[in-house]
Amino acid sequence: MKLHPITRRRLLLGAGLAGAAVVSACAPGESVPSASGSATGAAPEVTDPAELGDVELVVWDQEVRGSQNDALVALIAAFEEKYPNITVNRTSQSFDDLKAQVSLALSGNDVPDVVQVNNARGDMGQFVKAGQLVDLTPYAAQYGWEDRFPASVLSKVRYSGDATTFGEGNLYGLPQTGEIVGLFYSQKKLDALGAEAPATWEDYLALLDEAKAAGEQPMVLGNIEKWPALHVFGPLQAHYVEPETIVQLGMGNAGATWTDEANVAAMEQFATWGTEGYFGTSPNGLDYDPAWTEFTQGTGVFLPGGSWLATDMEAVMGEDLRFMPPPPAVDGKLATTGGTGIPFSIPAKAKNVAAAAAYIDFITSEEAMQIIADNGGMPVLRTAELAPESGVQKDIYEAFDTVSQEGTLLPYLDYATPTFSDTAGTGLQEVLGGQKSAQDVLADFEADYQAFVGG
Amino acid sequence: MTPYLYVLPAFLVYGLFLLYPLIRAGQFSLYDWPGFGPSEFVGPGNYVDLLGDRRFRDAVGHALTLIVFYSILPLVVGLVLAAILRRGRVRGLGFFRVVIFMPQVIALVVVAVAWHQIYSPTGLLNDVLRALGLGELARGWLGDPNLALPAVGMIGFWLSTGLVMLLLLAGMGRIPNDLYEAARLDGAGPVREFFAISLPSVKAEITTALVLTIIAALKTFDLVYVTTSGGPGTATTVPSYEVYNRAFNLKEVGSASAVAIVLTVLVFGINVVISRIGEERVVGR
Amino acid sequence: MRVGTGEKVLNYVILVLFAAYALFPILTIALTALGPQNGVTEPGPHWTNIADAWRIGDFGAALTRSLLVAALVVTVALTLSILAGYAFGTMRFPGSTVLFYLFLLGLMVPAEAIVIPLFFDLRTLGLTDTIWAVAFPQIAQSVAFGTFWMRAQFRALPPNLVEAAAIDGAGGMRTLWRVVVPPSLPSIATVAVLMFMWTWNEFLIPLIMSPGAQWRTAPLGLAIFKGQYTADNALIAAAGVIIAAPIIVVFLLLQRYFITGMLEGAAQE
Repeated sequence: MKLHPITRRRLLLGAGLAGAAVVSACAPGESVPSASGSATGAAPEVTDPAELGDVELVVWDQEVRGSQNDALVALIAAFEEKYPNITVNRTSQSFDDLKAQVSLALSGNDVPDVVQVNNARGDMGQFVKAGQLVDLTPYAAQYGWEDRFPASVLSKVRYSGDATTFGEGNLYGLPQTGEIVGLFYSQKKLDALGAEAPATWEDYLALLDEAKAAGEQPMVLGNIEKWPALHVFGPLQAHYVEPETIVQLGMGNAGATWTDEANVAAMEQFATWGTEGYFGTSPNGLDYDPAWTEFTQGTGVFLPGGSWLATDMEAVMGEDLRFMPPPPAVDGKLATTGGTGIPFSIPAKAKNVAAAAAYIDFITSEEAMQIIADNGGMPVLRTAELAPESGVQKDIYEAFDTVSQEGTLLPYLDYATPTFSDTAGTGLQEVLGGQKSAQDVLADFEADYQAFVGG
Repeated sequence: MTPYLYVLPAFLVYGLFLLYPLIRAGQFSLYDWPGFGPSEFVGPGNYVDLLGDRRFRDAVGHALTLIVFYSILPLVVGLVLAAILRRGRVRGLGFFRVVIFMPQVIALVVVAVAWHQIYSPTGLLNDVLRALGLGELARGWLGDPNLALPAVGMIGFWLSTGLVMLLLLAGMGRIPNDLYEAARLDGAGPVREFFAISLPSVKAEITTALVLTIIAALKTFDLVYVTTSGGPGTATTVPSYEVYNRAFNLKEVGSASAVAIVLTVLVFGINVVISRIGEERVVGR
Repeated sequence: MRVGTGEKVLNYVILVLFAAYALFPILTIALTALGPQNGVTEPGPHWTNIADAWRIGDFGAALTRSLLVAALVVTVALTLSILAGYAFGTMRFPGSTVLFYLFLLGLMVPAEAIVIPLFFDLRTLGLTDTIWAVAFPQIAQSVAFGTFWMRAQFRALPPNLVEAAAIDGAGGMRTLWRVVVPPSLPSIATVAVLMFMWTWNEFLIPLIMSPGAQWRTAPLGLAIFKGQYTADNALIAAAGVIIAAPIIVVFLLLQRYFITGMLEGAAQE
């Protein structure tokens, strides 16, 4: 009887070893590298989506927010009405959740037909490199997207097939909304200070000092999440660094440096703002959303932030809320962080590519832009034309139009490298809190950037 | 009658859904892999990189600091509370037990959200400080590089203490009343009584409490994720958060797996040591 | 036993202070949940926050899923733990120490360490987005703890109890269910409640294992409020109340039984 258990144990042990052997035989991921970008290219058959038969289109997006969600609900209803044979099965979740999940899901077989993928090298760039997204160039020809969208917008969804170049090459997604980072301010607060909206960076910096001397908190920033500071530093950087260079750095293309004098000056100004209380006592201890909530309740004169905040803040502040693009950059033209909402892409393994392309076409059409505007969002196209007649949205539409037509929409800095979101978020927190010097943080940025463009 | 048949079903599920993935994590840690597409075998490369990785070393240091808040402080406070409850014949004992244990039953996501609001610059903690005339101490607690980690630690303290206290109370409950009566006849005060009777009789419970809370401390993820995302800078990053961050944000699944394996080994090592010490004492008595 | 008045007062002071400390974050979130949403100025309490959060987070469906997952995890994990704990606690067999340490290891493995491989392997089998993918990793975790717990419980039973049953000719299974389990019921109930609680509160595993959101549980409903561009303290707190309330109710209903079981269970160690 005693031998029996031992053989059983041996059996277990043996099974375990056999299991381990099987395991070590199959490496994680695909053992054979998929030919980069080759999942694409084949010209689609031009088909009328109405003739595709019954299709269930699986869509994952992150438009959970009020106006964006309302617009998509309306658009999907209109789409299903136009093509009764297509049913849209939509799952929406928060940006961070979707981002984490997409990287797991895209490598699988059970992929959605349409998914929102962040433009960044860490997201879209990686997927392009792995051949996991459909090159939409043939569809662009079929649907005339290159006439519909300005080249500057499309450049933010273009990668070369091997993803080494960002900004040129194949087309991997289409955005629906526009975004611009600028300065929100309270008109009453400016009036109380006897000031006008600043026309130059010098004016702006002087105004901040004035506000501080008057006992006001000059700017509001909630940066516990790490990424909000990117939206403050980006526009400030353009006061010191040529927009062309920022684009190079921000898109992770070789040939620029983070450690030149201009960048040091920008980062030092940012450090001064942080350590001398221009954002109040502890921007790093305040959340993004409570920060703008406080702003609506009377804290601070300026709120550097993105256009997406307007609807919610306007609901509280009404006419008092104003928006302006940051003053002209070092080259004399307007330049600020911004561009487009998260683009909609098609996974390479999607089951209904043709219907997916029709969906993307529909939600970025002229008609769609109207629906987005009607629901309180900012459409990426026809912006000037669809601008509301008054209020902060008018400021925003005009700012977006001017910057995108005459100036430079700077990329979000986290586009730069797969790890730059982390590097920049951490570094800007450290500068704000005085944990690290401007030079040290820029050295970290440079290391990340060079490691990427060099390798 | 083979014991193995009884263990087998549990072992199958456990092996398939925990041990096997753990082995796979070990295997992943030998590859350079972004989470999709092809992978490259790098041997122990990821582990070698960790040796020189300041951020990883910081994370381990933070986790060890959290043990003070999750385990040591709750043990001290829990001992005092349990001794009071055992000896003091306090009325409403049931009520206090329920209330003090309450933090354990609430989802960590919810706990984190609550404390997050308390620590905010306009939160309850600062309101209290200002009301006490200590307004200059008010700050955004989670944004202060020196205080963010202790602030997260205090959430752990809040979480652990009820559990530890109940465990210790269980141990003290077994002490015969005669022992206390005899001690009191000898004129022992509460302090001597505590060291002579209560403490020695709960060594096993102390071991259990330490094992459970140290595991909780080293596995801290939800709290850091919701309250600070490891910030400001890297002031509150911990190994579990590094695992998540490397896998999902940095797309370094190999490195993430290596951190996970190191973390598992660390947890295992500390607990084997504690259990050994605990069991020796139990055997010795 | 008599205790001096001064000491008694001090005891109460300490206890009341500590109880307040334990309660205040819970009260904070309850109050925030009933406070005004951003931009709302009418005085509260704003019960509609709960309804709004319920609707936005689709908590009706999420709570149902949570309940199903928890029921599956507790039933399976408990049964397996009792069987394994019986072997470890009452029998001597070669390799038992090694095997037991193997189970103990499971208590210490962070979920983050296993979810990534689990996701890929289960996906290959086409099991992601099923209740099995969400439940079985948690069953494995619960089995690790349950086995640890039941072993301690069964070990502490008087040895002659099991021996007597064996002499009476009762088989292993019969001894287990007739002799070993009945006196251990409080302890079993305790571990069941603990397993239920952990499963209910788990966040990472359902998030990763159900990428299509078909099996997302209640705590994940909180995630929908925490997107990059949206958050309202009152609504987040209201969602927190929705998630926490069921478990608090269960705890309050079972607390006497639960705490008694917990104390007896731990005392066996």
